[in-house]
Amino acid sequence: MMSSRLLVLATGVALSLPLLAERPEINDKRAPADRGDLEKIQSLLTTALPAARQATVCIDLGEGSGSGVVISPEGLILTAAHVTGGVGKEFTVVFEDGRKVKARSLGLNSESDAAMAKIIEEGTYPFVRVEDQDRTKLGDWVFALGHSGGFDKERGSVVRLGRIVRSSNSTVQSDCNLIGGDSGGPLFDLTGRLVGIHSRVGQRLPENMHVPMREFLKHWDSMADSEFLGEGPFAKKPEKGKGFLGVSVEAREGAGVRVRRVGRESPAERAGIKAGDVFLKMDGEALESKEQFAELLKEKAPDDPVAFEMLRDGKTETLTLRLADRDG
Amino acid sequence: MADFRLPILLLLGLSAMGPGAQSLESTYRTAGPAVHAAFDSVRDVLQTSSAVFQRGRREVIFGTVVSADGHILTKASELGELEDLTVLVDREAYTHPRLLAEDPAWDVALVKIEASNLVPVRWSTIDEAPQGTWVVTNGATTRRQRRVQVGVVAANEREVFAKGGTVLGVELDPDAEGLRVAGVTEGSGAEAAGMESGDRIVAVGGREIASREELLKDLKERRVGERVTIRVRRGEQTIDLEVELAGRAELFGEEQTRNDAMSGEFSERRTGFPRVMQHDAMANKHYMGGPVLNLEGECIGVNIARFSRCETYAIPSLEAAELVKRLMDEPALR
Repeated sequence: MMSSRLLVLATGVALSLPLLAERPEINDKRAPADRGDLEKIQSLLTTALPAARQATVCIDLGEGSGSGVVISPEGLILTAAHVTGGVGKEFTVVFEDGRKVKARSLGLNSESDAAMAKIIEEGTYPFVRVEDQDRTKLGDWVFALGHSGGFDKERGSVVRLGRIVRSSNSTVQSDCNLIGGDSGGPLFDLTGRLVGIHSRVGQRLPENMHVPMREFLKHWDSMADSEFLGEGPFAKKPEKGKGFLGVSVEAREGAGVRVRRVGRESPAERAGIKAGDVFLKMDGEALESKEQFAELLKEKAPDDPVAFEMLRDGKTETLTLRLADRDG
Repeated sequence: MADFRLPILLLLGLSAMGPGAQSLESTYRTAGPAVHAAFDSVRDVLQTSSAVFQRGRREVIFGTVVSADGHILTKASELGELEDLTVLVDREAYTHPRLLAEDPAWDVALVKIEASNLVPVRWSTIDEAPQGTWVVTNGATTRRQRRVQVGVVAANEREVFAKGGTVLGVELDPDAEGLRVAGVTEGSGAEAAGMESGDRIVAVGGREIASREELLKDLKERRVGERVTIRVRRGEQTIDLEVELAGRAELFGEEQTRNDAMSGEFSERRTGFPRVMQHDAMANKHYMGGPVLNLEGECIGVNIARFSRCETYAIPSLEAAELVKRLMDEPALR
């Protein structure tokens, strides 16, 4: 199913470009026949590369990295679920020229390995078009980009040329060789349209798997709405009751509960909560007892946002923070 | 350790593809015979202008023919002893190759075979081959036939620094004041220069050095193969030693990363090159040393290191041609 959001995006792009690229006829040949055919592939690739490179980003997770690709001028990013690892996670996105911006993960599909993220700094970003007509076929020439082995400004992202060698509903396989750091990076057709996102490899060299665009299109709205889909191997759903705030509270005369102690390096401490602060409401619900507060927290999972209305030094304040993982 | 994301299927317990997958016959894949056939005219250049160094029936390394009378450029660190090597060019086998010269910064050797009327590569004069340009290079070979592997120019040309910096090959006494040598590493530049345990390093390249930190900082900015004058105090004497620097990873080994584990046989000497052109043709460490050709059959580089599963480095043609000229003018080594 095609989302209205994507239609708008696609139309906007079509208007801004003089020609909507046709499917290259070289794809209809079983193999290039001669040097002329090879030159056609080379010419399409060298033409498509500069724009594709500009929109390909490194996703810096601190202790590691993956790749991603920007698909709207506002900074919507497609990447892999095992790269973002969850919903609402913040990370740094690095463009090929070294420019760094903050981004936050939106939804993901833990079964197909598809994920979305969004740059949260306002700006206009270089982006690529999504192949949303499902026209990519077995044997089509494609190229992969990605920050193989991590970001290297002098090197830039790494190009690999290959063909679609296997295809099923939820996965495409190419002979563009991938390595660690490429995950979440883009697979393009020869006109520079995005056809897949790098996901995983087999033990044998030519097994390189990508999430096809149709998998993204199928769940586009849910992912854009920050939903965690499926129970697959690529991301682990945060568990209810595992959300960790890091305070102990006591009952109080009148409304709310009073903070008695704040755990060191807890989300509460990082958000500036201090002993003596009073929580009046949590997510809009008035707090009345210690037990009720505990019950409300039990419904929360790691990474869930929690909004407090607080009383501090006689003044009312509001504060939103994200819970950590009780086990981690 | 940094975690560069990419799951391996086996670890996930998944089969490669779901049911009902369509598959492209292997001959039509990028490394398949039907695709390679389109490169036949370039393959002819590999047939005449690339060399195969064999020990017995095993390929040791490839080479690039750079003169009609038998000069061949290859990767020095993979060559080993020359005596028992046979060199194949086209369908001829040549024995007793001689080592004429080496350049440690580029890890190349210039070798001579007794031949005439060979067809040297035509060096491309393009300053930097654009990314996405087809590259054609040596694949598996038979006694009679060179075969191709193909790919594209894959990243920016650049210098690749030695992983972990350069080293002299000494162990310093951590308890001593100043820089007292406690041990000299076998096969290192320090050993070749005659450095001894007990020597005290006082200056590097004419600059006084007082601490380990200063020494590391100085060496970090230098290149593999560079010769640097190390002044040492030995008893009452002050001695200047000419030490050739090595890459840290080469001399002391390196920890295998997950990316290395999925990269098959990569080159042992794979970093520390003044300039590389990168491509994505399939290869392993034995496929280095041969020419990298464009569709015109011109040589745009010489393969110098298989870095990983998807990255191969070549010396760009301008630098390679320059290097050949320089090495040919050098007096023969042996």
